[in-house]
Amino acid sequence: MREFAPEIRGCSGDHVIELTNVSKSYNRGKVKAVDNLTLTVKPGEIFGFLGPNGAGKTTTLKMIVGLLRPDTGRIAVEGIDVLADPLQAKQITTYVPDFPAVYERLTGIEFLNFIGDVYGVPRQARIERINKWIGVFELATAVSNPIQSYSHGMKQKIVLTAALLPAPRVMVLDEPLIGLDPRAAYQLKDLFREHCEEGKTLLFSTHIMEVAEKLCDRIGIIHKGRLIACGTMEELRTLGQTEQSLENIFLELTGK
Amino acid sequence: MSRLGALTRVSFKSHFGLAIMWRRLFREKKDRWIIPILAISFIGILPLLFGMVIFIQGAYHMLKQLEMERAILDMGIAVGQAVILLFGVYYVIGALYFSRDMEMLIPLPFRPSEIMISKFAVIVVSEYLTVAFIILPIIITYGILARSGAGYWINATIVYLVMPVIPLALIAVPVVAMMRIINISRKKDLLIIFGSIGMLAAVLGFQFLMQRVASRNISTEDVTAFLSSPNSLPARVRASFPPVVWGANAIYGGFSRTGLFYLGLLLGTSAAVFGALVILSEKFFYGGVVGLNEIAMRKRQLTGDELSRQISSGRRGVTAIFVREWRIMNRTPVFLLNGVIMVILFPLLLLFLMPSGTIPFAAIPALGKTAPSVLIAALFMTICSCVNGVSSSAFSREGAQFSISKVIPVAPREQTAAKFLHSYLMGALGIIAASVVIAIRIHPKAVNLMAALGLALTASALLTAVGMIIDLARPLLDWTNPQKAIKQNLNVLLAMLADIGIITFAFFSAMILLMMPLAPAAVIGGLFIEFAVLAALGYWALLKFAEKRYREIEM
Repeated sequence: MREFAPEIRGCSGDHVIELTNVSKSYNRGKVKAVDNLTLTVKPGEIFGFLGPNGAGKTTTLKMIVGLLRPDTGRIAVEGIDVLADPLQAKQITTYVPDFPAVYERLTGIEFLNFIGDVYGVPRQARIERINKWIGVFELATAVSNPIQSYSHGMKQKIVLTAALLPAPRVMVLDEPLIGLDPRAAYQLKDLFREHCEEGKTLLFSTHIMEVAEKLCDRIGIIHKGRLIACGTMEELRTLGQTEQSLENIFLELTGK
Repeated sequence: MSRLGALTRVSFKSHFGLAIMWRRLFREKKDRWIIPILAISFIGILPLLFGMVIFIQGAYHMLKQLEMERAILDMGIAVGQAVILLFGVYYVIGALYFSRDMEMLIPLPFRPSEIMISKFAVIVVSEYLTVAFIILPIIITYGILARSGAGYWINATIVYLVMPVIPLALIAVPVVAMMRIINISRKKDLLIIFGSIGMLAAVLGFQFLMQRVASRNISTEDVTAFLSSPNSLPARVRASFPPVVWGANAIYGGFSRTGLFYLGLLLGTSAAVFGALVILSEKFFYGGVVGLNEIAMRKRQLTGDELSRQISSGRRGVTAIFVREWRIMNRTPVFLLNGVIMVILFPLLLLFLMPSGTIPFAAIPALGKTAPSVLIAALFMTICSCVNGVSSSAFSREGAQFSISKVIPVAPREQTAAKFLHSYLMGALGIIAASVVIAIRIHPKAVNLMAALGLALTASALLTAVGMIIDLARPLLDWTNPQKAIKQNLNVLLAMLADIGIITFAFFSAMILLMMPLAPAAVIGGLFIEFAVLAALGYWALLKFAEKRYREIEM
């Protein structure tokens, strides 16, 4: 496997998300999921996180949002240590998991109200944003029904709406396009760009190379828990020393 | 291994969670502390088991003089069959229609009957465990006292193994037919509630039947009279459910012609009824289960005004969590039944079972005195407040959605405070229901009732905190069926054991205070202060523990 240590160091700079020498293992240290990972994401950036199954993407994202505790290392969001001051970090971050986590016995609007309440979203802003996002995601007819009655894609949309409702400065998304229909996926990509143009930051994992290639300002490739490449599309192409597609670069770096 | 064998093996592993338990106990070496606690619980049951054996022995010797000793066997089989019937409704509906693995099994190349057989096997084993405590002491004690031969023991083993088949098949047939019809309307939740209330009504009816022959203090003579009466419960069950007679005759007869005939009759009928169920399931089972989880959606777009009205103006974090707990509890049938309905039903059930003149309290001379009467009333109220598993499943009920609680910006102590308030209110509901029962049955002085209420509300705060601490120590978050969060959650059992310990401690505290030359108000006040201090400490410990555990629990 090729290592790209100099380019990894090139990921530092002004940053909103900062992981320093983060490691995480499971099964009493037998399985190393994330191995001494150092990564930074800049303000207003869309950062794509790529890697094969089991590479450590979800584990990394979960550590950033506080679902998992790193064994070693430091994670900071806007300079706030997520372990030392989790509440402050959570106040500015929202998370969309790979499988929609929702309270199925609540209606869509009740769930959104709950999220609005816990993030302290003012009523007027809440009305405006809910109206906007349920329009974008075509949830207007569903929002007063129990989430239990939603399809998988609709559940994913309500989770995305909930994540957007507090207008977070940082969004962390795990495979956000899975389960969405083409129209919603297209709108979500637009929305990502709009979100980041407001100076907000977005970190997401994906398996869809085309999305990562077209949408991301920078891409990090993780393999066996280690960041093996990180940079803009151009920088990654330089690493491969050819005009390859991201898919080819990915296959080459992760050993096919 | 055959396809059916493989499916049945997986069903057992999935239902009883043996593989997970094995991994957690012996590979990951977590939860090892459960082993001594379970051992202590088992040792705790031994005196009860010993009492049962002594009781059966007494009844045997008394009935032997009348040459009616085999009525004990009849009784054992009859009660066993009745229990199988009662629990069977719940087990059958739960296993066949509300286990999430059905969604995974249906697309696989299994015949409906194969899935039915594998599920049926799991239910049968669950029933073995349910009735073992009732039937085995009777069969074993009887066998030893009667110096029975090999025929008795072999037939008894076969009867025990076959016994659940007929009642369960007889339940499953109408359930399969009913689900086929109900699935058209997609009223799944309603069915669970009505099915379970129906079961509770059946339990109540059974209790009522028992109560008709039970006196204030059941003595061996009473049991003899009960068993030998032509209108007795065993006689009624025997008359309406012949397999009871066949089973008892097969055991009693051993290897004699009569014994073998009845054993053959029981086995043959079991096979025939089970065969009928298999044939029926081949035709109707999938019709009842496919699409059962689909919930119809009302397709109506809200107007701008309607939507604005539904958008809340902003609650505080604690209130938002409390509202969420409240809604999820009341809208999930299994939580509603065990948390809310049971809390109200339990004292009412006792009211129903205590017709005037048979209240044991009435016989206690101390009841006339203020302090003991208040303490007994407070004890009753406290017990009624903790029969639900609300506090001891407060975190487990969240399941995978605990990940939401981990990422939202609400401090663990605030989230826990909201959960505490919710659990405590559920307990208070039980206390209020118990007060109503006491007021109706015993007519205490208002001041005494209020004193008992105050004591119970304080004790309940302590029990709520302890239950929540137990659940927080090892929350069951990986369930796929909400039943597991509350009905099959070991934390609920552990919390009950802790409650028994606390109540025992309270009992001794009360005894010490009563022995002192104190005024009733001082005794009650002393206990009140003791519980208030303990409750405050419990609540403080809970919040501290929550800060630690919310960080530690990984999702």
